[in-house]
Amino acid sequence: MDSESVKKDRDFEERTKLLFEQSVAALDGQTRSKLTQARYRALEELAERASPGWSRSWLPAGAVAAVALLSLMLWQGQMGPLTTSGFDVAAVTDLEILFSEEEFDMIEELEFYAWLEEQVELTSGEIVEDGIG
Amino acid sequence: MALAVTLQAPMCLQKEDGTLESRAGMEGFLREVETRAFRIAVISTRDAGEALDIVQDAMISLARRYADRSAEEWRPLFYRILKNRIRDWQRRRIVRGRVMSFFGGQEGEEYDPIAQAPGPTSENPLEALARSDAMDALEQALRELPKRQREAFMLRNFEGLDVTDTATAMGCSDGSVKTHYSRAVHRLRDALGEHV
Repeated sequence: MDSESVKKDRDFEERTKLLFEQSVAALDGQTRSKLTQARYRALEELAERASPGWSRSWLPAGAVAAVALLSLMLWQGQMGPLTTSGFDVAAVTDLEILFSEEEFDMIEELEFYAWLEEQVELTSGEIVEDGIG
Repeated sequence: MALAVTLQAPMCLQKEDGTLESRAGMEGFLREVETRAFRIAVISTRDAGEALDIVQDAMISLARRYADRSAEEWRPLFYRILKNRIRDWQRRRIVRGRVMSFFGGQEGEEYDPIAQAPGPTSENPLEALARSDAMDALEQALRELPKRQREAFMLRNFEGLDVTDTATAMGCSDGSVKTHYSRAVHRLRDALGEHV
């Protein structure tokens, strides 16, 4: 690359930098104010992080988690004995069922499902008898 | 006990001084970069509101994750975060555009037709120059550069980062920065001539 081209590049770079700086200097007061607010929010984050009690912000979430865990264990205690792992997978499944919208439909048609269960028992009894016979 | 108290008190004061010093240092740094970072984000997004959100997000992220680093490291780290936030925003916009076109251009509440509409950016850079607005022309020419060249140019030329800090901010080698920057300068010069 010849020196003339290098010089042109440098001149161009200086002009573009100047244009950019001018556009930054021309930013309106409202934008500058919003940027200042944004900076203060970032500094609040820094202050919170530096504070010895910053972990206190986790306390509400921890308390909720602890209460939920305790409730689950108490509820599980009523339903049956704890498994060796301390958590019964079936209990979690029950919770899923409780919060599942589909299962509410099932409760509404409980009589139908009771009848269906009876039919299944009757049919399976017949099959067993057939097998023995 | 008295000894413990006399020993502990200066330590607390020292820690507090350190925290205040750190806060003052971070504030000075953010104050220095915020306006230029905002302009860079505006050039990339063409949306002042989005640019503000992106800059704020980058500031918070720097304060949260890198306040403990030395002040010399803040600038390349901050611009790396800013670059990533801008890219994330651009990706989200592309995905949103695809989804919208899939559903026959039905727009959701968050969809901004003005941001999506072809604006003056689709003009030739020389047309923008004809409006005697050199910065608009420069921004337009920058948007037409490949992404990496644009990033290298804005970080090196606008923000004044050296090659190594630009490489840190861009997540590439020094050699790549030099190549991207050199190509960017030549393409911009070709596009804008001596008018800028």
